[in-house]
Amino acid sequence: MKQIALYGKGGIGKSTTSANLSAALSLQGLDVLQIGCDPKRDSTRMLMQGTLIPTVMDLVRKRGDPAVTLDEVVYRGFHGVRCVEAGGPEPGVGCAGRGIIATFQILEKLGALDADVVVYDVLGDVVCGGFAMPMREGYAEEVYLVTSGELMSLYAANNICKAISRLSSRARSRCRLGGVICNAKNLPREEELVAEFAEKIGSFMIQFIPRDQVVQQSELNRRTVIQFAPESGQAEVYRTFARKIMENRRLDIPTPLEMEDLEDLAYAYST
Amino acid sequence: MPIPRDDGCTLTGALSVTTEIERCATIIHGPSGCAHHNFSLLHALHAARDHITTPALISTDMSEREVIFGGEHLLEEAIFEAFSRHPDIICVLSTCVAATIGDDVDALCRIPHDIPVIHVPTGGFLGGGFLSGHINALQTLSHLAKRGEGSLSVNLVGEKTLEYEVQEHYREVSRILASMGVPVHTRFVCGSSLPDIQRLGNASLNILRDPSMVPLGTTLDRELGIPFVDSFPLGMEGTIRFMEEVGAALSLDVTDAIAEEEALQREMVRAFSSLKGKRIRFSTRYAEEGVFHPGYELAEMLDLEIHEHGNPVPVPDPFPVGTHGIRRLLNRWMRGCHA
Repeated sequence: MKQIALYGKGGIGKSTTSANLSAALSLQGLDVLQIGCDPKRDSTRMLMQGTLIPTVMDLVRKRGDPAVTLDEVVYRGFHGVRCVEAGGPEPGVGCAGRGIIATFQILEKLGALDADVVVYDVLGDVVCGGFAMPMREGYAEEVYLVTSGELMSLYAANNICKAISRLSSRARSRCRLGGVICNAKNLPREEELVAEFAEKIGSFMIQFIPRDQVVQQSELNRRTVIQFAPESGQAEVYRTFARKIMENRRLDIPTPLEMEDLEDLAYAYST
Repeated sequence: MPIPRDDGCTLTGALSVTTEIERCATIIHGPSGCAHHNFSLLHALHAARDHITTPALISTDMSEREVIFGGEHLLEEAIFEAFSRHPDIICVLSTCVAATIGDDVDALCRIPHDIPVIHVPTGGFLGGGFLSGHINALQTLSHLAKRGEGSLSVNLVGEKTLEYEVQEHYREVSRILASMGVPVHTRFVCGSSLPDIQRLGNASLNILRDPSMVPLGTTLDRELGIPFVDSFPLGMEGTIRFMEEVGAALSLDVTDAIAEEEALQREMVRAFSSLKGKRIRFSTRYAEEGVFHPGYELAEMLDLEIHEHGNPVPVPDPFPVGTHGIRRLLNRWMRGCHA
């Protein structure tokens, strides 16, 4: 079983990347489970043809106890990809991080975390212990950072590196950085910049995903690119990416950059 | 390492105040365990003082569900439940868990109600322990009082309601004050009613239980214009000094009262003359030496020799209040010396 987690700045395209990755992996004949770890609950929407599935936390909230069954939380989407949404509290109340921890405990108890590949799609930043849950022992062993060439996006990715290096230093921890994914914003020399960033933190750029209108078109049609435009170049990029993920043997403990070094790096590519 | 004097649970400190208010319902917003262990402690201490009514606590009984989704609705229900018991006042105490997830307890207490609903922030992990809970609760309650006309009377501020001899200490300080013609206005707070608390501002002097209450004394001085004496009377000389301080603060001539008290002290020393010449050692163990000061004073007055192989005698902390407190202590020393 391969367990991977995608982290990155909010709005950078984690869910789009995750959904297309899961779709591409399933077409390789793999049993794939995608878990959305964000109270916004929209990670699996494209895989579910636009439907927002009930979340684990919705059920807990309604029932008042964690006595939920596998059928109630796992939904089959495109090409049999199994989808789970953790969900969480309404914005502004309670503790979403604890919600993620509770969801993992429930999924574990139900024996739900069993597939050829488990893809964890985690919210913007590792704001607290709860959102580092997928990186803990027994869960994702490979973390992929999704970033563009924008400074704020690199900054978030660098920050997540801090969580990875902290967690990977723990005894028995097998959590490592698997690579950096550049989800391009069409900035000049973006691919080079992200590749150099990846190298500087002690990793590598596993995939460059160009910006393409077909992604928006697919989403407007409530489908992944893999499903909506399988013949497109973008779909081929995602399929290539899925193959690379399965073949990737490079796992690193990253060394986060100092803020100044990060700024210098971004500045060097700005002209 | 010095003994920490501000240790323990902030919530317990605040409860030592709110459970001493008559017709007060206290809501503990947090997991039931926070209420349970405090309930047990309070109930046991009250029972030891022959006071067997159970403390009026309501727990919001937070679980993981509320931690994730927020627990304000439970607090609303608990306030509703508290109203049904027709209290004069409701005190809402928060806990570590409620404070961590950021439930807006203040906002719920601010909603206009027919009776005062006050919030004492008692998330212990925020720093501070028992003492800060004790002081925070009193400080919050003091907002219910207004400045008054300053009658010749005193408030007793910050009594340690969980100590075994709290009533003995109260009776002794009242006796000493009465000997100077000064009545006790409000015990802030020990078995007090809401109107007592609201009238707090009518006294002209606050007597703090001990110097740990100085931050509160300072606030009350600023807010209600009432100055303070920083401790109950401790030790023989300390009792006389206390009387002088109170006399000076209230511009009273206390010469006669002091002469009577000194006569009482001399008589008491005579009553324990069989102790004279005994060898003693202080059996109570403290990290700091200063705590033994009233013990040395007594030993000197009774002509006792302090020796490492002497009879073990206690020097309790807190030290018993006033002349009668010393009398109770000397009875224990008599037993220690088999005299």
